Amino acid sequence: MAQIGLPNNSKVKKGKYFKDKTGSKNLRKVNIYRWDPSTEENPRIDTYEVDMNNCPSKVLDILNKIKNEIDPTLAYRRSCAHGVCGSCAMNMDGKNGLACTTPHKEIDGDINIYPLPHLKVKKDLIGDLDGLYKQYQSIEPWLKSNSKSETKEIFQSKEDRAKLDGAYECIMCACCSTSCPSYWWNGDKYLGPAVLLQAYRWIIDSRDEERNSRLKKVADELKLYRCHTILNCTSACPKGLNPAKAIAEIKKMLATANI
Amino acid sequence: MENKSPLSPHIQIYKWHVSSLVSISHRITGIINIISITLICLMVSLLVLSQNSYDTIYLFLNSLMGKFVILGITWSFSFQILSEIRHLIMDLGFGFELKISKITGLIVIFGSIIFTVIFYLIGKNIF
Repeated sequence: MAQIGLPNNSKVKKGKYFKDKTGSKNLRKVNIYRWDPSTEENPRIDTYEVDMNNCPSKVLDILNKIKNEIDPTLAYRRSCAHGVCGSCAMNMDGKNGLACTTPHKEIDGDINIYPLPHLKVKKDLIGDLDGLYKQYQSIEPWLKSNSKSETKEIFQSKEDRAKLDGAYECIMCACCSTSCPSYWWNGDKYLGPAVLLQAYRWIIDSRDEERNSRLKKVADELKLYRCHTILNCTSACPKGLNPAKAIAEIKKMLATANI
Repeated sequence: MENKSPLSPHIQIYKWHVSSLVSISHRITGIINIISITLICLMVSLLVLSQNSYDTIYLFLNSLMGKFVILGITWSFSFQILSEIRHLIMDLGFGFELKISKITGLIVIFGSIIFTVIFYLIGKNIF
């Protein structure tokens, strides 16, 4: 049975309040989830007053500003700042997304920032994604060919290549998987939208020769069929992909294929 | 060290949208339907048992509480049927685009209310 509430050591407490020191008139309150592994304390919500006059447009810019100018102890992942690497995936205003592509103008009221949902927190906004990467490995995301002597490139028609559109663009930021209630309650067994989208990407690749064994592998009550078309994944995806549709396509293939 | 790590908040902070609401309501109405089918069977068998039990059921169904229960069951069944049709269409691979899923979700929500009203009016012999 799924645990709806949070365990005792995860209950969020009220934290510190950082008052603005710049004297700016254009302030915004930013509430950020904090947890320090070096203490025994519960996680807390720290509130920062941020001067919006000197802040660029994205949520990541706010975090950078806080880290540089207000509180250097804040920890979060970030790298490219252009929505390509997927490092800065987090929960902003109750929805998963990349901090570097989410404009803070689109958020009404105070800005609430949490780590990706239902993960073991390592520090502040950094969640532990080991389980997801292990599942990703389990679907063997590489091209499999039986013809070992083949040394030339394997050709693919334009039509077959077009089938990969909407699947290969995934940057594995985990926004979708951690937005999925099914993945929250059954994350140890259910593969989740991100990994299933990748499984789909290899199943439909015309160059891959292990299609049937790949299908057989995901054909499992818990691995695949925990998708109940909640569509949190599709609405969270910062790249505009549709994992829910990919999962439905896998289900359809399994229903019609003779394996 | 590893066990000390807290679990990040999930359902407490995640925003609801049409599709997730319809999905959870589908489950809840499903459970309600199982219970109400059992109740309906019980009531029907009570009806034929004796004059006394017939009167009890008659009184219950005519009370405010009884009417509320019947309307609730009607809504729950309407919702389940419409949502199930939506699921069937999705199983065929259609309706996964965000906009379409939102529209079909809203159709399910408002359609179930409209169905309830229609069934109520049919019961009242308006048609």
